[in-house]
Amino acid sequence: MTSQTPVDALSVRGLTVTIQQESQHLRVVDGISFNLRSGEVLALVGESGCGKTKTAEAIMGLVPRDSGVVQATSIRIGDTELAVMPEAAMRQIRGREISMIFQEPLTALDPVFSIGSQMSSVFRRHRKQSRTQARQSSLEMLASVGFPDTARVMRSYPHELSGGMRQRVMIGMAMACKPRVIIADEPTTALDVTTQAQVLARLTDLGRKTGTSILLITHDLGIVAQYCDRALVMSKGKIVEEAEVKQLFTRPAHPYTRSLLAAAAGIND
Amino acid sequence: MSNGTPELLSVRNLVVAYETSGHVKSRLTAVQDVSLDIAPAGIFALVGESGSGKTSLARAILQLIPSASGQVIFCGKSLPEMNKTQLREARRDIQAIFQDPLSSLSPRRTILQTLTEPLDHFRIGTGKERIDIAAGALETVGLDNSMMQRFPHELSGGQRQRAALARALVSKPKLIVADEPVSSLDASIQARVVELILNLRDKQGIAFLFVSHDLSVVRQLADTVAVMYLGRLVETAPARELFSNPAHPYTRSLLRAVPIADPLHPAPVVLDGEPPSALTPPTGCVFHMRCPDRIERCSSVEPGQVNISGKEGRQENHRVRCHLWNS
Ligand SMILES: Nc1ncnc2c1ncn2[C@@H]1O[C@H](COP(=O)(O)OP(=O)(O)OP(=O)(O)O)[C@@H](O)[C@H]1O
Ligand SMILES: Nc1ncnc2c1ncn2[C@@H]1O[C@H](COP(=O)(O)OP(=O)(O)O)[C@@H](O)[C@H]1O
Ligand code: SF4
Ligand SMILES: [Mg+2]
Ligand SMILES: [Mg+2]
Repeated sequence: MTSQTPVDALSVRGLTVTIQQESQHLRVVDGISFNLRSGEVLALVGESGCGKTKTAEAIMGLVPRDSGVVQATSIRIGDTELAVMPEAAMRQIRGREISMIFQEPLTALDPVFSIGSQMSSVFRRHRKQSRTQARQSSLEMLASVGFPDTARVMRSYPHELSGGMRQRVMIGMAMACKPRVIIADEPTTALDVTTQAQVLARLTDLGRKTGTSILLITHDLGIVAQYCDRALVMSKGKIVEEAEVKQLFTRPAHPYTRSLLAAAAGIND
Repeated sequence: MSNGTPELLSVRNLVVAYETSGHVKSRLTAVQDVSLDIAPAGIFALVGESGSGKTSLARAILQLIPSASGQVIFCGKSLPEMNKTQLREARRDIQAIFQDPLSSLSPRRTILQTLTEPLDHFRIGTGKERIDIAAGALETVGLDNSMMQRFPHELSGGQRQRAALARALVSKPKLIVADEPVSSLDASIQARVVELILNLRDKQGIAFLFVSHDLSVVRQLADTVAVMYLGRLVETAPARELFSNPAHPYTRSLLRAVPIADPLHPAPVVLDGEPPSALTPPTGCVFHMRCPDRIERCSSVEPGQVNISGKEGRQENHRVRCHLWNS
């Protein structure tokens, strides 16, 4: 056995997403390849519309059939190949092996069920817990994403929570099954910076403790600098740079990365 | 509260409460005793903890939810006392953009249909002119004309938010209430939206109530900043002063939690403890359980709002709710 070879939690090869738009084919994700190492926090950065969300949806098998075509040489989680997996089997993988936190949490929560019943069902389905156990696990999970009044949140319906609260619920649900991989699409844009600091500290802690790897999609270079190990820089559907975070900030190689850093510096001063 | 200039919007002692779900019905006070003023062409930013009541305050001002008590005066008229027709007319002057752009964009309408809807509604322009106004608004927010025939689900998150902003612009409002309009945008487009808002203010005299988590954006945009915690405005000050010389302990924690785009910079400070529940607010100062500077009376007496202008070199119109300043 060779020592210290980083194991890849997720490996993506030749991923392309093509969207049919008024008799044109747009390659919104254009043949990208990357590895997410076990236990690492990998940032995916790039400007609005460059294809970050589509990349995430493609890996999750969530690109709606009528809106786009996904092609990939390989998408592997550990030894499991997702690229050819039928939807029924994918459903078993989602939530347990890989889960996603969406950019717009309102669309991801079901408006007609209370938070408690939505959270509990995750524990019951994937962890085969009893009703009482699932309730207990849900309360603990809500406390861990910073809610003081977990019982109230359990009873609430999504529209009764603020945007930031809904986002924390989504983060809790994604963490529920300690999946191998979490893809978080701008998970904290609805949160104030103190709550953001708390939630990101918990999310990245979870990764380091349980070995969960996190692909963190963000446009905030402050988050990249403070919470991520490595970063992928995406522009117009392609990955233009891949680097350790320290190197990215001190020696950005691609002109596009440099322009992103310059824009962020302009905003931060 | 101000120095004589007529305000565009004045809010006095506003309280917003919800009945919460469950077997036991209980009352949750989301906004408690909030007063603020926005001048014509002013940019007033509201920041604060997730769930602190920013959206509730914004929605109550817009008359989208009822308030329990207090006043909302827009252009000298009391909005809560208006009837439906008067309110509809007033909506031409107060537009809104929400946290979730999908809520301002109808899923079954193309972007063009969504943009021309308020023009049809207020009977502004001819059919052709309406399309031109819509195209102009799209151009203003940096979306190209090919987006017109698309549906919201065919846009990325950032593109949707810009479409929502374009929709708010078409009726030429006096005030835009924007609830986290830039939080889903990346730095380069944020910078453009910031520029755009400043431009709209300078050229068209539009005032903004701007709710945001992004303190760097707030710093560039706002004239006045108010910081909210558990339904209260704990500090209100001219923007420059709030950032350079924050007076409230919560504001200081907030500023320390900003992640800096430099991996060698120390990590953001995580505030100790959990935010209190709005359902069972603590006695005394609502921040006392987490406050690094608390003194004895903080846990029993709720601090009132004081104007600290002149104290330790602070300018006029700097107000806080904190016992440290109450002497
Ligand atoms: N269903 C669709 N039909 C047509 N075009 C689409 C569709 N979904 C997304 N697009 C386009 O694909 C591109 C990539 O979208 P994606 O949502 O992946 O962007 P993103 O990088 O996540 O951006 P943001 O930071 O704004 O969320 C965009 O140009 C968008 O307009
Ligand atoms: N429709 C509702 N019913 C009951 N409670 C609500 C409702 N909407 C918001 N709340 C509660 O009011 C408080 C403030 O929410 P909100 O104004 O959305 O916060 P913010 O915008 O500052 O994140 C939160 O505790 C939230 O759970
Ligand atoms: S009143 Fe007391 S507890 Fe509240 S912020 Fe001031 S010092 Fe802290
Ligand atoms: Mg996106
Ligand atoms: Mg809100």
